[in-house]
Amino acid sequence: MELFVQLLANTLQIGAVYVLFALGLTLIFGVMKIVNFAHGAFFTAAALIVTSVVPFATVEMGMPLWAGYLLSAVAALVVVLCLGALVYKVGFQHVLKDLNGSFILSIGLLLILNGVYLAIYGGAPRAVPQVVPGTVNILGATLTAQRLALVIVAAIVTGGLYLLIERTKLGLALRAVALDQEAAMLQGMPYRRVALYGFLIGAALAACAGVLMAPINAVTPVSGDEFLIKAFIIIIIGGLGSVTGAIVGGLFIAMIESIGGYFFDPSTATLAMFILVIGFLLVRPQGILGNVE
Amino acid sequence: MQMAKWMRPLGAAALTLMFAQAGAAQETLKLGISAPMSGAAATWGLGMEWAAEQAAERVNEEGGVTAGGKTYMFEIVAFDNKYSATEGARNAQTMLNRDGINFIAGSIGTAPVRAMQALTERKGVILFNTAWGKSVKGPKYPNTFTQMNTPFEILSPFYNFIKEEHPDVKTVALISPNDATGQELEPVAVETWKGLGVEALASDWYERGTTEFQPIATKIASLNPDIVDFSAAPPTDAGSILKELEVLGWDGVMVMSAGTSVDSLTSVAGDAAEGAYLGASADFSGETATEVQKELNAGAREALGEPLNGITISAYDAIMALRAAIQKADSVDPAKVKDVLSSVRFESSYGPSGFGGEATYDYPQQMLIPVIVTQVQNGKAVELTRSNPAELDALLNE
Repeated sequence: MELFVQLLANTLQIGAVYVLFALGLTLIFGVMKIVNFAHGAFFTAAALIVTSVVPFATVEMGMPLWAGYLLSAVAALVVVLCLGALVYKVGFQHVLKDLNGSFILSIGLLLILNGVYLAIYGGAPRAVPQVVPGTVNILGATLTAQRLALVIVAAIVTGGLYLLIERTKLGLALRAVALDQEAAMLQGMPYRRVALYGFLIGAALAACAGVLMAPINAVTPVSGDEFLIKAFIIIIIGGLGSVTGAIVGGLFIAMIESIGGYFFDPSTATLAMFILVIGFLLVRPQGILGNVE
Repeated sequence: MQMAKWMRPLGAAALTLMFAQAGAAQETLKLGISAPMSGAAATWGLGMEWAAEQAAERVNEEGGVTAGGKTYMFEIVAFDNKYSATEGARNAQTMLNRDGINFIAGSIGTAPVRAMQALTERKGVILFNTAWGKSVKGPKYPNTFTQMNTPFEILSPFYNFIKEEHPDVKTVALISPNDATGQELEPVAVETWKGLGVEALASDWYERGTTEFQPIATKIASLNPDIVDFSAAPPTDAGSILKELEVLGWDGVMVMSAGTSVDSLTSVAGDAAEGAYLGASADFSGETATEVQKELNAGAREALGEPLNGITISAYDAIMALRAAIQKADSVDPAKVKDVLSSVRFESSYGPSGFGGEATYDYPQQMLIPVIVTQVQNGKAVELTRSNPAELDALLNE
């Protein structure tokens, strides 16, 4: 029983970040019909900013760690939103609904941003102290308070996004555009503006994931790349463009990683994910909750 | 006007002489470095590049290296191999074909080194490396030289020492990166533990770049081995696993054969790394360190924010070996340098050194340096013991 709870706790810890990351990616695909390989760069930017702002705020400004972390979170969010708006205006708005164009553009963007991060921060891993110290025991499963906080915040953000999409005018517009862009435009919806909002919400979700991960894992200029690969697997399995699918897919992949890593090893679990995604592409290309187009 | 008449040719002659002089002084010999400068193992590549630059600076300050009547100044050209074979091959192409480099003073990672060898051996380029795989050595690779101790030098004395310190240990769990380095180290590690009466309860693999280690930590904690051997895992990955193991309450003997950068390890693992045994680190600020090592170590702390270790300092030693070999061969022709490298004697950062290892690899291409065992104590690497290979002792007694 204890083992089962521990594996479940591992699944939730791992899945929380995957879900946030994949939600942004699937939202961008749903609204703009593009693949964004630079999505991981938003995650990395946020995490790197946390690693530089936290020491500055705590050492140079004498702020307590939690306050320094909150400041770094705000700074990361602002920078990533500005970066997102810039790359949208300069690049992505010209390749809306163009899979090939967005593929080439985002790959190029990823290489540029990775190079910029490397030049600014260097390649060595950077660490941030745990903001929420200590460990907690839940039904025999042990996890750090920091990871528990991550799961709670990720759940709140995911819930907030769900409400935004289901209950607000913007959410309605995002869903309408995702379902049928031309019909939405005929109803008077400003597609480009809605696409920009969708892109910025996606970037903000990646930033949230980066901010939450920074105190847990070492951060490097390529940290987002590992999550990007997993996120693509998640949205293929969950269904491209489906918000619920990203949540289901994220938790499913985290479960494979958790259980596969325990009963076999992490390499085998990674292999299993790729086999699974190949299986989905062959048998059910629309994913668990996606629509066939 | 009269003056201006002879001033012009005189000036031209002076300029020609100046350029000729400058040309002679600027005879440059490029030395390549191919190492991870980004990712979890970046600390190794950045440290290696820095140590290489210090060695080149020292050689240049001492007047460079003279061969065939010419004086050469060393110049370091470093490339990021991202610990991958693809990047290793690309670096080799760039260094050999574009930059015309004939001497590679440092390369890290079995997979990228293997990829480089395909080109360096064909072109007869000297390749110094820290690869832990045995497959990169032997008579088939006469241009390849190993600049640090590898599992065949380290594991036996390292594990023996740990067994002596903890005679009650009976079980071990190994976790290795799933690449050429890990795959070549793991069987040697399992066999060596077995020889000491320590049973391997599990031996698991992970992909480099993995960020989530809770599943494997959960597995290891549930097996509750006496020892966890992190094999060829770089310090950042080992630190991440240690942090998870501490949360899960595992409290045993931590062994890191490739344990090098204590600062990287503790920055991730914190106090969880306290007491870990490291096989490839060294306390280059301690009593047993040489003056050269102390000076380099202090410089590295200032420049990089962390001390040197067995991997990073190896570039310094490789360059000292190269200088001695070029001088002995009286040539910068890599074929001639290769012929004398095996028998050359040089002053490494550890003291007098040479090459050996013929009994293990059928070719004397292993740099002879002491095996040093350190332990993380109060966040620092503290030397516990050191032993010289028999060939190094013989060389010191020559």
